[in-house]
Amino acid sequence: MSSDSGRLNAQDIPELGSKRSGRLVLEAQGLHRNYGPVVAVGDLDLSMSEGEFLTIVGPNGAGKSTLLSMLSGAMRPTAGSVSVCGDKLDFGRYEWRHRIGMLSHQGFLYDRLTVEENLYFYGKLFGVTDLEDRVASRLQRVGLLERAQFEVRKLSHGMRQRASLARALLHDPDVVLLDEPYTGLDPAAAVVLRDVLDELKDGRRTVVMVTHNLREGLEMATRIAIQVSGRFAWEGALQGAGWEDFESHYHRVVEGRV
Amino acid sequence: MNHYLVQVWAILRKDLLLEIRSLERIGAMGAFAVLAGVLFNFSIDTTAVRPDDVATGLIWMTLIFGGLLGVGRTFQLEAQDGALQGILTSPAPKDAIFLGKTIANFVLLYVVSILVLGVFGLFFGLDLGQNLGWVVFVLGIGSLGFVAVGTLFAAVAAGTHLKETLLPVLVFPLMVPMVIYGVGAMMPLVNGRPITEVEGNVRMLGAFTLAAVAAGAVLFRYVVED
Repeated sequence: MSSDSGRLNAQDIPELGSKRSGRLVLEAQGLHRNYGPVVAVGDLDLSMSEGEFLTIVGPNGAGKSTLLSMLSGAMRPTAGSVSVCGDKLDFGRYEWRHRIGMLSHQGFLYDRLTVEENLYFYGKLFGVTDLEDRVASRLQRVGLLERAQFEVRKLSHGMRQRASLARALLHDPDVVLLDEPYTGLDPAAAVVLRDVLDELKDGRRTVVMVTHNLREGLEMATRIAIQVSGRFAWEGALQGAGWEDFESHYHRVVEGRV
Repeated sequence: MNHYLVQVWAILRKDLLLEIRSLERIGAMGAFAVLAGVLFNFSIDTTAVRPDDVATGLIWMTLIFGGLLGVGRTFQLEAQDGALQGILTSPAPKDAIFLGKTIANFVLLYVVSILVLGVFGLFFGLDLGQNLGWVVFVLGIGSLGFVAVGTLFAAVAAGTHLKETLLPVLVFPLMVPMVIYGVGAMMPLVNGRPITEVEGNVRMLGAFTLAAVAAGAVLFRYVVED
Protein backbone atom coordinates (compact mmCIF):
# COMPACT_ATOMS: atom_id res chain seq x y z
CA MET A 1 0.00 0.00 0.00
CA SER A 2 1.42 3.37 -0.83
CA SER A 3 0.70 6.66 0.80
CA ASP A 4 -0.14 9.89 -1.05
CA SER A 5 3.51 10.64 -1.48
CA GLY A 6 3.98 7.30 -3.16
CA ARG A 7 6.04 6.03 -0.26
CA LEU A 8 5.37 3.14 2.03
CA ASN A 9 5.46 3.78 5.70
CA ALA A 10 5.16 1.60 8.75
CA GLN A 11 1.58 2.69 9.50
CA ASP A 12 0.39 1.37 6.13
CA ILE A 13 1.60 -2.10 6.89
CA PRO A 14 -0.33 -4.65 8.90
CA GLU A 15 1.46 -6.37 11.74
CA LEU A 16 3.18 -9.56 10.85
CA GLY A 17 0.82 -12.46 11.21
CA SER A 18 -2.29 -10.35 11.63
CA LYS A 19 -3.70 -11.65 8.35
CA ARG A 20 -2.36 -15.13 8.82
CA SER A 21 -4.67 -17.95 8.01
CA GLY A 22 -4.23 -21.66 7.62
CA ARG A 23 -1.94 -24.14 9.30
CA LEU A 24 1.10 -22.79 11.11
CA VAL A 25 4.11 -24.34 9.38
CA LEU A 26 7.27 -22.49 10.37
CA GLU A 27 7.83 -20.89 13.71
CA ALA A 28 10.93 -19.38 15.28
CA GLN A 29 10.96 -18.06 18.82
CA GLY A 30 13.68 -15.90 20.31
CA LEU A 31 16.12 -17.03 17.65
CA HIS A 32 19.57 -15.77 18.46
CA ARG A 33 23.01 -16.41 17.08
CA ASN A 34 26.22 -14.65 17.88
CA TYR A 35 29.79 -15.09 16.71
CA GLY A 36 31.74 -14.10 19.78
CA PRO A 37 30.71 -10.55 20.60
CA VAL A 38 29.03 -10.03 17.22
CA VAL A 39 25.27 -10.64 17.14
CA ALA A 40 24.34 -12.05 13.72
CA VAL A 41 20.68 -12.69 14.57
CA GLY A 42 19.16 -11.23 17.70
CA ASP A 43 16.06 -12.57 19.48
CA LEU A 44 14.06 -12.92 16.32
CA ASP A 45 10.48 -14.24 16.25
CA LEU A 46 8.85 -15.51 13.11
CA SER A 47 5.72 -17.47 12.34
CA MET A 48 4.54 -18.50 8.91
CA SER A 49 1.49 -20.32 7.69
CA GLU A 50 0.99 -22.73 4.86
CA GLY A 51 1.15 -20.95 1.49
CA GLU A 52 2.99 -17.84 2.65
CA PHE A 53 5.99 -16.51 0.76
CA LEU A 54 8.26 -14.33 2.87
CA THR A 55 11.03 -12.35 1.24
CA ILE A 56 13.77 -11.09 3.54
CA VAL A 57 15.88 -8.22 2.26
CA GLY A 58 18.60 -6.29 3.95
CA PRO A 59 22.13 -4.99 3.61
CA ASN A 60 25.24 -7.18 3.72
CA GLY A 61 25.99 -8.47 7.18
CA ALA A 62 22.40 -8.15 8.37
CA GLY A 63 22.34 -11.85 9.32
CA LYS A 64 19.95 -13.00 6.59
CA SER A 65 21.94 -16.07 5.59
CA THR A 66 22.60 -16.92 9.24
CA LEU A 67 18.86 -16.80 9.87
CA LEU A 68 18.22 -19.10 6.91
CA SER A 69 20.94 -21.50 8.08
CA MET A 70 19.25 -21.75 11.46
CA LEU A 71 15.82 -22.24 9.88
CA SER A 72 17.24 -25.04 7.72
CA GLY A 73 18.87 -26.76 10.68
CA ALA A 74 22.35 -26.31 9.22
CA MET A 75 23.32 -24.07 12.11
CA ARG A 76 22.51 -24.41 15.78
CA PRO A 77 21.09 -21.22 17.30
CA THR A 78 22.85 -19.76 20.33
CA ALA A 79 19.38 -19.40 21.86
CA GLY A 80 15.78 -19.84 20.79
CA SER A 81 14.03 -22.54 18.83
CA VAL A 82 12.62 -23.37 15.42
CA SER A 83 9.58 -25.56 14.81
CA VAL A 84 8.35 -26.97 11.52
CA CYS A 85 4.73 -28.17 11.45
CA GLY A 86 4.80 -28.24 15.24
CA ASP A 87 7.97 -30.36 15.48
CA LYS A 88 10.75 -28.57 17.26
CA LEU A 89 14.06 -28.83 15.41
CA ASP A 90 15.93 -31.32 17.53
CA PHE A 91 19.50 -31.86 16.37
CA GLY A 92 19.47 -35.41 17.71
CA ARG A 93 16.61 -36.34 15.38
CA TYR A 94 16.44 -36.23 11.64
CA GLU A 95 12.82 -36.77 10.53
CA TRP A 96 11.96 -33.07 10.44
CA ARG A 97 14.62 -32.50 7.79
CA HIS A 98 12.31 -34.19 5.27
CA ARG A 99 10.08 -31.14 5.56
CA ILE A 100 12.73 -28.61 4.50
CA GLY A 101 14.25 -27.91 1.10
CA MET A 102 17.12 -25.46 0.75
CA LEU A 103 18.38 -23.65 -2.32
CA SER A 104 21.43 -21.52 -1.83
CA HIS A 105 23.76 -19.60 -4.15
CA GLN A 106 25.86 -22.71 -3.62
CA GLY A 107 24.25 -25.66 -5.35
CA PHE A 108 25.27 -28.51 -2.98
CA LEU A 109 26.10 -30.48 -6.12
CA TYR A 110 29.11 -32.62 -6.98
CA ASP A 111 30.94 -31.47 -10.08
CA ARG A 112 32.03 -34.90 -11.22
CA LEU A 113 28.65 -36.54 -10.84
CA THR A 114 26.00 -36.19 -13.52
CA VAL A 115 22.88 -34.17 -12.82
CA GLU A 116 20.92 -37.39 -12.49
CA GLU A 117 23.47 -39.00 -10.17
CA ASN A 118 23.37 -35.94 -7.93
CA LEU A 119 19.60 -36.13 -7.70
CA TYR A 120 19.61 -39.88 -7.06
CA PHE A 121 22.18 -39.35 -4.32
CA TYR A 122 20.09 -36.74 -2.52
CA GLY A 123 16.92 -38.71 -3.19
CA LYS A 124 18.37 -41.68 -1.33
CA LEU A 125 19.48 -39.52 1.58
CA PHE A 126 15.94 -38.10 1.80
CA GLY A 127 14.32 -41.51 1.41
CA VAL A 128 12.38 -40.62 -1.73
CA THR A 129 10.55 -43.78 -2.77
CA ASP A 130 9.46 -43.16 -6.38
CA LEU A 131 12.91 -41.82 -7.18
CA GLU A 132 13.06 -42.60 -10.87
CA ASP A 133 9.79 -40.83 -11.68
CA ARG A 134 10.51 -37.99 -9.27
CA VAL A 135 13.94 -37.27 -10.75
CA ALA A 136 12.57 -37.29 -14.28
CA SER A 137 9.67 -34.98 -13.42
CA ARG A 138 11.86 -32.48 -11.55
CA LEU A 139 14.40 -32.39 -14.37
CA GLN A 140 11.60 -31.97 -16.87
CA ARG A 141 10.23 -29.04 -14.85
CA VAL A 142 13.54 -27.19 -14.70
CA GLY A 143 14.29 -27.98 -18.36
CA LEU A 144 17.27 -30.22 -17.74
CA LEU A 145 15.92 -33.61 -18.73
CA GLU A 146 18.07 -33.67 -21.85
CA ARG A 147 21.14 -32.87 -19.80
CA ALA A 148 20.49 -35.45 -17.10
CA GLN A 149 23.62 -37.39 -18.06
CA PHE A 150 25.88 -34.32 -18.14
CA GLU A 151 28.45 -33.94 -15.39
CA VAL A 152 27.56 -30.87 -13.35
CA ARG A 153 30.95 -29.27 -14.04
CA LYS A 154 29.99 -29.07 -17.71
CA LEU A 155 26.86 -27.02 -17.04
CA SER A 156 26.57 -23.24 -17.14
CA HIS A 157 25.89 -21.41 -13.90
CA GLY A 158 22.22 -21.01 -14.78
CA MET A 159 21.84 -24.71 -15.50
CA ARG A 160 23.60 -25.60 -12.26
CA GLN A 161 21.17 -23.40 -10.38
CA ARG A 162 18.26 -25.14 -12.09
CA ALA A 163 19.74 -28.51 -11.16
CA SER A 164 20.03 -27.25 -7.57
CA LEU A 165 16.40 -26.20 -7.66
CA ALA A 166 15.44 -29.71 -8.79
CA ARG A 167 17.52 -31.08 -5.90
CA ALA A 168 15.90 -28.76 -3.36
CA LEU A 169 12.38 -29.72 -4.44
CA LEU A 170 13.07 -33.41 -5.05
CA HIS A 171 11.62 -34.59 -1.73
CA ASP A 172 8.57 -32.32 -1.97
CA PRO A 173 9.31 -30.23 1.14
CA ASP A 174 6.70 -28.26 3.09
CA VAL A 175 9.17 -25.43 3.70
CA VAL A 176 11.43 -24.10 0.96
CA LEU A 177 14.34 -21.84 1.93
CA LEU A 178 15.99 -19.81 -0.80
CA ASP A 179 19.26 -18.00 -0.19
CA GLU A 180 20.05 -15.53 -2.98
CA PRO A 181 18.71 -17.87 -5.67
CA TYR A 182 19.11 -15.30 -8.45
CA THR A 183 22.82 -14.68 -7.89
CA GLY A 184 24.73 -14.94 -11.16
CA LEU A 185 21.77 -16.03 -13.27
CA ASP A 186 21.37 -14.73 -16.80
CA PRO A 187 17.90 -13.35 -17.71
CA ALA A 188 16.75 -16.61 -19.35
CA ALA A 189 17.74 -18.71 -16.34
CA ALA A 190 16.11 -16.15 -14.05
CA VAL A 191 12.84 -16.55 -15.96
CA VAL A 192 12.90 -20.34 -15.49
CA LEU A 193 13.69 -19.91 -11.80
CA ARG A 194 10.88 -17.36 -11.42
CA ASP A 195 8.40 -19.71 -13.13
CA VAL A 196 9.31 -22.58 -10.84
CA LEU A 197 9.21 -20.36 -7.76
CA ASP A 198 5.81 -19.11 -8.89
CA GLU A 199 4.61 -22.72 -8.87
CA LEU A 200 5.70 -22.97 -5.27
CA LYS A 201 2.95 -20.50 -4.42
CA ASP A 202 0.46 -23.34 -4.61
CA GLY A 203 -1.00 -22.62 -1.19
CA ARG A 204 0.59 -25.76 0.18
CA ARG A 205 4.18 -24.68 0.62
CA THR A 206 5.80 -22.10 2.82
CA VAL A 207 8.68 -20.23 1.26
CA VAL A 208 11.33 -17.98 2.77
CA MET A 209 13.60 -16.18 0.33
CA VAL A 210 16.62 -14.08 1.19
CA THR A 211 17.73 -11.74 -1.56
CA HIS A 212 19.50 -8.52 -2.41
CA ASN A 213 17.44 -8.17 -5.52
CA LEU A 214 14.43 -6.14 -4.39
CA ARG A 215 12.57 -6.45 -7.65
CA GLU A 216 12.80 -10.25 -7.91
CA GLY A 217 12.15 -10.62 -4.22
CA LEU A 218 9.02 -8.52 -4.15
CA GLU A 219 7.40 -10.12 -7.19
CA MET A 220 6.94 -13.36 -5.31
CA ALA A 221 6.36 -12.19 -1.79
CA THR A 222 3.14 -12.31 0.17
CA ARG A 223 5.14 -10.84 3.06
CA ILE A 224 8.34 -8.87 3.27
CA ALA A 225 10.83 -8.30 6.05
CA ILE A 226 13.75 -5.89 6.09
CA GLN A 227 16.49 -7.29 8.25
CA VAL A 228 19.04 -4.92 9.71
CA SER A 229 21.71 -5.85 12.27
CA GLY A 230 20.20 -9.25 12.98
CA ARG A 231 16.65 -8.07 13.57
CA PHE A 232 13.57 -7.44 11.47
CA ALA A 233 13.55 -3.65 11.34
CA TRP A 234 10.33 -3.73 9.34
CA GLU A 235 7.82 -6.41 8.39
CA GLY A 236 4.68 -6.27 6.36
CA ALA A 237 3.09 -6.70 2.96
CA LEU A 238 3.58 -4.78 -0.24
CA GLN A 239 -0.14 -4.73 -0.98
CA GLY A 240 -0.03 -3.29 -4.45
CA ALA A 241 2.78 -0.82 -4.02
CA GLY A 242 5.44 -0.82 -6.76
CA TRP A 243 8.94 -1.99 -6.11
CA GLU A 244 10.22 1.54 -6.74
CA ASP A 245 8.10 2.72 -3.82
CA PHE A 246 9.37 -0.08 -1.70
CA GLU A 247 12.97 0.70 -2.64
CA SER A 248 12.82 4.17 -1.17
CA HIS A 249 11.07 2.77 1.89
CA TYR A 250 13.79 0.12 2.17
CA HIS A 251 16.53 2.74 2.17
CA ARG A 252 14.80 4.74 4.85
CA VAL A 253 14.44 1.65 7.02
CA VAL A 254 18.05 0.57 6.51
CA GLU A 255 19.28 4.07 7.29
CA GLY A 256 17.19 4.07 10.47
CA ARG A 257 14.80 6.81 9.38
CA VAL A 258 11.70 4.65 9.99
CA MET B 1 17.03 -52.34 2.38
CA ASN B 2 16.90 -50.51 5.68
CA HIS B 3 16.85 -46.73 5.12
CA TYR B 4 19.91 -46.23 7.32
CA LEU B 5 21.91 -48.67 5.21
CA VAL B 6 20.63 -47.01 2.03
CA GLN B 7 22.00 -43.70 3.32
CA VAL B 8 25.37 -45.25 4.24
CA TRP B 9 25.51 -46.91 0.83
CA ALA B 10 24.60 -43.63 -0.95
CA ILE B 11 27.50 -41.79 0.73
CA LEU B 12 29.91 -44.67 0.10
CA ARG B 13 28.91 -45.04 -3.53
CA LYS B 14 29.10 -41.30 -4.14
CA ASP B 15 32.61 -41.03 -2.66
CA LEU B 16 33.88 -44.01 -4.66
CA LEU B 17 32.25 -42.75 -7.85
CA LEU B 18 33.92 -39.37 -7.41
CA GLU B 19 37.25 -41.10 -6.84
CA ILE B 20 36.87 -43.34 -9.87
CA ARG B 21 36.16 -40.24 -11.98
CA SER B 22 39.06 -38.18 -10.64
CA LEU B 23 41.61 -40.77 -9.37
CA GLU B 24 43.04 -37.92 -7.31
CA ARG B 25 43.37 -39.57 -3.93
CA ILE B 26 44.24 -43.11 -4.93
CA GLY B 27 46.72 -41.72 -7.45
CA ALA B 28 48.48 -39.66 -4.77
CA MET B 29 48.47 -42.50 -2.24
CA GLY B 30 49.62 -45.10 -4.77
CA ALA B 31 52.42 -42.91 -6.10
CA PHE B 32 53.58 -42.17 -2.57
CA ALA B 33 53.55 -45.87 -1.65
CA VAL B 34 55.63 -46.91 -4.66
CA LEU B 35 58.13 -44.06 -4.26
CA ALA B 36 58.47 -44.70 -0.52
CA GLY B 37 59.16 -48.38 -1.21
CA VAL B 38 61.84 -47.50 -3.77
CA LEU B 39 63.50 -44.92 -1.49
CA PHE B 40 63.46 -47.15 1.59
CA ASN B 41 65.01 -49.90 -0.52
CA PHE B 42 67.99 -47.67 -1.29
CA SER B 43 68.23 -46.13 2.17
CA ILE B 44 68.67 -49.35 4.14
CA ASP B 45 71.82 -51.43 4.16
CA THR B 46 70.37 -54.91 3.88
CA THR B 47 73.77 -56.44 4.67
CA ALA B 48 73.64 -54.82 8.12
CA VAL B 49 69.95 -55.47 8.98
CA ARG B 50 67.59 -58.25 7.98
CA PRO B 51 64.98 -56.89 5.53
CA ASP B 52 62.27 -58.93 7.29
CA ASP B 53 62.96 -57.06 10.52
CA VAL B 54 62.59 -53.55 9.12
CA ALA B 55 60.10 -54.05 6.28
CA THR B 56 57.03 -54.43 8.51
CA GLY B 57 57.57 -51.15 10.33
CA LEU B 58 58.24 -49.36 7.06
CA ILE B 59 55.07 -50.80 5.54
CA TRP B 60 52.94 -49.42 8.40
CA MET B 61 54.63 -46.02 8.32
CA THR B 62 54.20 -45.83 4.54
CA LEU B 63 50.53 -46.67 4.98
CA ILE B 64 50.03 -43.99 7.60
CA PHE B 65 51.82 -41.25 5.68
CA GLY B 66 50.27 -42.28 2.37
CA GLY B 67 46.86 -42.72 3.95
CA LEU B 68 46.90 -39.17 5.27
CA LEU B 69 47.21 -37.91 1.70
CA GLY B 70 43.93 -39.58 0.83
CA VAL B 71 41.97 -39.24 4.03
CA GLY B 72 42.96 -35.59 4.40
CA ARG B 73 41.17 -34.76 1.18
CA THR B 74 37.96 -36.58 2.02
CA PHE B 75 36.15 -33.39 3.03
CA GLN B 76 37.50 -31.45 0.10
CA LEU B 77 35.05 -33.46 -1.97
CA GLU B 78 32.31 -31.89 0.10
CA ALA B 79 33.78 -28.39 0.08
CA GLN B 80 32.92 -27.96 -3.59
CA ASP B 81 29.73 -26.01 -4.07
CA GLY B 82 28.81 -26.30 -0.38
CA ALA B 83 27.95 -29.99 -0.74
CA LEU B 84 28.71 -30.70 2.93
CA GLN B 85 25.83 -28.43 3.92
CA GLY B 86 23.63 -30.32 1.49
CA ILE B 87 24.42 -33.58 3.26
CA LEU B 88 24.23 -32.11 6.75
CA THR B 89 20.79 -30.64 6.12
CA SER B 90 19.53 -33.96 4.78
CA PRO B 91 17.82 -36.49 7.07
CA ALA B 92 20.93 -38.73 6.94
CA PRO B 93 22.13 -39.34 10.51
CA LYS B 94 25.62 -38.02 11.11
CA ASP B 95 26.91 -41.46 12.03
CA ALA B 96 25.62 -42.79 8.68
CA ILE B 97 27.59 -40.04 6.93
CA PHE B 98 30.67 -40.94 8.96
CA LEU B 99 30.34 -44.66 8.26
CA GLY B 100 29.79 -44.11 4.54
CA LYS B 101 32.86 -41.91 4.25
CA THR B 102 34.96 -44.19 6.47
CA ILE B 103 34.11 -47.29 4.44
CA ALA B 104 34.87 -45.42 1.19
CA ASN B 105 38.23 -44.32 2.60
CA PHE B 106 38.86 -47.86 3.78
CA VAL B 107 38.28 -49.31 0.31
CA LEU B 108 40.78 -46.84 -1.15
CA LEU B 109 43.40 -47.37 1.55
CA TYR B 110 43.00 -51.13 1.46
CA VAL B 111 43.75 -51.14 -2.26
CA VAL B 112 46.82 -49.02 -1.53
CA SER B 113 47.89 -51.27 1.36
CA ILE B 114 47.90 -54.29 -0.96
CA LEU B 115 50.01 -52.24 -3.36
CA VAL B 116 52.38 -51.27 -0.54
CA LEU B 117 52.70 -54.91 0.48
CA GLY B 118 53.52 -55.85 -3.12
CA VAL B 119 56.10 -53.07 -3.49
CA PHE B 120 57.86 -53.89 -0.21
CA GLY B 121 57.61 -57.60 -0.91
CA LEU B 122 59.38 -56.99 -4.19
CA PHE B 123 62.11 -54.63 -2.96
CA PHE B 124 62.75 -56.30 0.40
CA GLY B 125 62.36 -59.84 -0.86
CA LEU B 126 59.66 -60.76 1.66
CA ASP B 127 58.54 -64.37 1.51
CA LEU B 128 54.98 -64.21 2.80
CA GLY B 129 54.19 -67.74 1.69
CA GLN B 130 51.43 -69.37 3.72
CA ASN B 131 50.83 -66.27 5.86
CA LEU B 132 49.86 -63.99 2.98
CA GLY B 133 46.16 -64.23 3.84
CA TRP B 134 46.77 -63.35 7.50
CA VAL B 135 49.06 -60.46 6.59
CA VAL B 136 46.40 -59.04 4.27
CA PHE B 137 43.81 -59.53 7.05
CA VAL B 138 45.95 -57.68 9.61
CA LEU B 139 46.55 -54.85 7.13
CA GLY B 140 42.79 -54.65 6.61
CA ILE B 141 42.04 -54.29 10.31
CA GLY B 142 44.75 -51.68 10.72
CA SER B 143 43.63 -49.74 7.64
CA LEU B 144 40.06 -49.59 8.93
CA GLY B 145 41.22 -48.28 12.31
CA PHE B 146 43.40 -45.70 10.64
CA VAL B 147 40.70 -44.38 8.30
CA ALA B 148 38.18 -44.19 11.17
CA VAL B 149 40.53 -41.93 13.14
CA GLY B 150 41.62 -40.12 9.97
CA THR B 151 38.08 -39.42 8.75
CA LEU B 152 37.02 -37.97 12.10
CA PHE B 153 40.06 -35.72 12.35
CA ALA B 154 39.88 -34.77 8.68
CA ALA B 155 36.48 -33.30 9.54
CA VAL B 156 38.04 -31.44 12.48
CA ALA B 157 40.91 -30.17 10.31
CA ALA B 158 38.56 -29.14 7.48
CA GLY B 159 36.87 -26.75 9.88
CA THR B 160 40.12 -24.93 10.66
CA HIS B 161 42.19 -22.60 8.53
CA LEU B 162 45.15 -25.00 8.76
CA LYS B 163 43.12 -27.79 7.11
CA GLU B 164 45.33 -30.74 6.00
CA THR B 165 48.41 -29.28 7.68
CA LEU B 166 46.81 -29.91 11.05
CA LEU B 167 45.82 -33.49 10.30
CA PRO B 168 49.14 -35.28 11.06
CA VAL B 169 49.44 -33.44 14.38
CA LEU B 170 46.00 -34.70 15.38
CA VAL B 171 46.24 -38.22 13.97
CA PHE B 172 49.81 -39.38 14.65
CA PRO B 173 49.57 -39.57 18.46
CA LEU B 174 46.49 -41.77 18.14
CA MET B 175 48.27 -44.08 15.73
CA VAL B 176 50.75 -45.30 18.36
CA PRO B 177 48.64 -48.31 19.45
CA MET B 178 47.93 -49.22 15.84
CA VAL B 179 51.61 -49.19 14.93
CA ILE B 180 52.61 -51.17 18.05
CA TYR B 181 50.01 -53.91 17.58
CA GLY B 182 50.08 -53.82 13.78
CA VAL B 183 53.85 -54.29 13.60
CA GLY B 184 53.70 -56.72 16.52
CA ALA B 185 51.20 -58.85 14.62
CA MET B 186 52.73 -58.60 11.19
CA MET B 187 56.44 -59.04 11.85
CA PRO B 188 56.21 -62.63 13.10
CA LEU B 189 53.83 -63.47 10.24
CA VAL B 190 56.29 -62.06 7.71
CA ASN B 191 58.97 -64.19 9.35
CA GLY B 192 56.85 -67.29 8.82
CA ARG B 193 55.56 -67.68 12.39
CA PRO B 194 52.02 -69.12 12.82
CA ILE B 195 48.99 -66.86 13.49
CA THR B 196 48.56 -68.42 16.94
CA GLU B 197 51.72 -66.61 18.08
CA VAL B 198 50.27 -63.17 17.30
CA GLU B 199 46.64 -63.66 18.30
CA GLY B 200 46.99 -61.21 21.19
CA ASN B 201 48.30 -58.43 18.97
CA VAL B 202 45.61 -59.07 16.35
CA ARG B 203 42.92 -58.90 19.04
CA MET B 204 44.33 -55.62 20.37
CA LEU B 205 44.49 -54.20 16.86
CA GLY B 206 40.88 -55.28 16.32
CA ALA B 207 39.83 -53.68 19.60
CA PHE B 208 41.57 -50.43 18.62
CA THR B 209 39.77 -50.47 15.28
CA LEU B 210 36.38 -51.16 16.83
CA ALA B 211 36.90 -48.38 19.37
CA ALA B 212 38.01 -45.96 16.60
CA VAL B 213 34.94 -46.71 14.43
CA ALA B 214 32.53 -46.48 17.37
CA ALA B 215 34.07 -43.29 18.76
CA GLY B 216 34.15 -41.72 15.30
CA ALA B 217 30.48 -42.53 14.68
CA VAL B 218 29.47 -40.99 18.01
CA LEU B 219 31.72 -37.93 17.90
CA PHE B 220 31.32 -37.02 14.24
CA ARG B 221 28.11 -35.04 14.76
CA TYR B 222 29.78 -32.79 17.32
CA VAL B 223 32.56 -32.09 14.85
CA VAL B 224 30.41 -31.19 11.84
CA GLU B 225 27.47 -29.42 13.46
CA ASP B 226 27.85 -25.67 13.57
